[in-house]
Amino acid sequence: MKDILYMVGQYIRHHRVKTIILVLSISLIIYLPSGLRVVVNESAESLISRAGSTPLILGAKGSPLELVLNSLYFDTDAPESFPYKEYLRLGESPEISAIPLHTRFRAGEFPIVGTSMDYFNYRNLTVASGENLVFLGDCVIGFRVAERLGLEPGDSLISTPSSVFNLAGAYPLMMNVQGILAPSGTPDDESVFVDLKTAWIMEGLAHGHEDLQQDGLNGSVLEREGDNIIANASVAEYNRVTESNMQSFHFHGDPGKFPITAALVFPGNQRAATLLEGRYLGEEEVVHLVDPVEVMEELLGTIIKIQNYMITGIVIIGLSTLATTVLVFMLSLRLRKKEIETMHKIGGARRRIRAILVSEILSVLLMGALISLILTTLTAHFGPAILKGILLGGGA
Amino acid sequence: MIPIDMRHYRFILPVLLVLIAGCGQKQPASETASQDQLLSVAVVNYPLAFFAERIGQDLVDILFPVPGGTDPAYWVPDKQGVTAFQSADIILLNGAGYAEWLNTVSLPGSKTVNTSQSISSRLLMEAEGVTHSHGLEGEHEHGNLAFTTWLDPRLAIEQARSVYEAITREIPEREAIFADHFHALEQELMSMDAMIEELVSRDPGKTLIFSHPVYQYFTARYGIPALNLHWEPDQVWDGQMARELEQIRHGTDAAWMIWEDEPLPETVSRLRELGVESTVFSPCANTPDAGDYLEVMKQNIENLVPVYDPDLGTR
Repeated sequence: MKDILYMVGQYIRHHRVKTIILVLSISLIIYLPSGLRVVVNESAESLISRAGSTPLILGAKGSPLELVLNSLYFDTDAPESFPYKEYLRLGESPEISAIPLHTRFRAGEFPIVGTSMDYFNYRNLTVASGENLVFLGDCVIGFRVAERLGLEPGDSLISTPSSVFNLAGAYPLMMNVQGILAPSGTPDDESVFVDLKTAWIMEGLAHGHEDLQQDGLNGSVLEREGDNIIANASVAEYNRVTESNMQSFHFHGDPGKFPITAALVFPGNQRAATLLEGRYLGEEEVVHLVDPVEVMEELLGTIIKIQNYMITGIVIIGLSTLATTVLVFMLSLRLRKKEIETMHKIGGARRRIRAILVSEILSVLLMGALISLILTTLTAHFGPAILKGILLGGGA
Repeated sequence: MIPIDMRHYRFILPVLLVLIAGCGQKQPASETASQDQLLSVAVVNYPLAFFAERIGQDLVDILFPVPGGTDPAYWVPDKQGVTAFQSADIILLNGAGYAEWLNTVSLPGSKTVNTSQSISSRLLMEAEGVTHSHGLEGEHEHGNLAFTTWLDPRLAIEQARSVYEAITREIPEREAIFADHFHALEQELMSMDAMIEELVSRDPGKTLIFSHPVYQYFTARYGIPALNLHWEPDQVWDGQMARELEQIRHGTDAAWMIWEDEPLPETVSRLRELGVESTVFSPCANTPDAGDYLEVMKQNIENLVPVYDPDLGTR
């Protein structure tokens, strides 16, 4: 056996280029369909599991896929917003509970999620260091955000302006990092969580400024007529909520009209879910209710359909590659006819010579299979994240 | 403050009967209730604390951390205070913009109950607010809804109903007990409402001066023409107050001023010189020094008796 392996090694070393081409061809024939199947299956499981833990999502009428992807992963473009009163309307039924989401802002590469403290309980997120949200302007960050930005409780994090060219837009808000969440292995690790009211400050719907009724601000006051005070733009607006200026923060307008991008909805029972679904069927409704599992299954159905087309194509290409490989081996044997005869003449038994040739072919096949196995394993590990990144249009 | 005449008894007696009946209702809901089974209920003002306590009785643990003598509407909690609210099982809010500190803290929405949600269509706007304009936003106003909702007993009943429903959602197996407690409280509030209505009906168009603009729901409920000032009971009398009073009374026959709390004796005598008598109708937003919510309201009704009975003497 040792001599056979020696002869195979010598053969491979002598025909390096040919062997590498053959091994790569074989490994790709095996890897492409298996890797594709693995990546789709793993991604499907991961996508469905987050969707499966979210009963229903309320959002502005539009693309259900955009709404679901943004509400589950926060990393896609935010869907159209809708009035907060639609969320309050959900609360009119004691059998329904809901969590609001506002995902229009970012802190650098990380999405800022304006929500209620219930979100943490719902996703089983715990604060690993620091504290949970307490005051306006506080944020709790995912552990990857803390890791990448080197943040600790007590530090600050600034929101990114929605548009650098919109000088009239809301100013960025300096958030106070209150706590860091324990790793969860979900998109929550890469998100910044704030109270919904803090997200509304970023929207410019609430602000804090110097007290216009103070005498010292006369330079900023253009007109004072009874309770009506008109000031110029020099009145300093606060871009950070602190203990001393917190009480000066106030909201303008009816909070019922303030925007949110989605609400995670939890009907207490099937009857409540059915009634709720019926409520949003009317043409006059500005929002619709989607089942994230249904939407994700639809998306995965499309992906699997594409996968099947691709596998069919790969199998056809694989068969032709296999035929070519067989041809290469046959031609190789013909070219080596004299070499085989020489081996026989110097005393090599025919069985032994056959064993050397079969071992050469098997070693090429085994190396191809081994490489495809390594590639498939790597794909199973990194593929779902890559596919999720492609689906969400950013890094997953 | 107000001399008690025998004729008061026709009002006092029913109030006392209601209170005695109420006391009779306050029986332990469960003798087996232990500390660890208590439902923790955080509230933003005393009326809600009273409603929750009357309905939940020994099954609830009330968290109302506002110090005595502080108006809960303007109290601001520290971090520990907010954390205590966050960890309660139920957080009862008054709604109608009451307690502005709620706008500056994070509370779990699932535990929060806006007790005036069901009466949102009946909420009133404040008569005044500071309007200002600056920057590119244009004109805007701070302070909108009147928030002393519980001074209309019918609205108070609806708020108590919200409290009852919230407690029942948490401990559904005790629904029958809570229902009994709620209906007893409802009866007491209805009786109180009927008494005030009967009292005001003796002189329905009588204009009253209110030292503070917090009686919107009370005056709206009973159709009382109201003139509002912005005076504090401990405010020392000065010429500005006399001018304000003169201005607000102009063209009316208003002869009674209703205070949130006992005014300074000098203020009372100065007002009397100007032909205005004083009496107290406490909104009871914070825990009273003595008695409870219904007892304070009983005293309020007693204090209103001379206002609506022209034959009674002055202070």
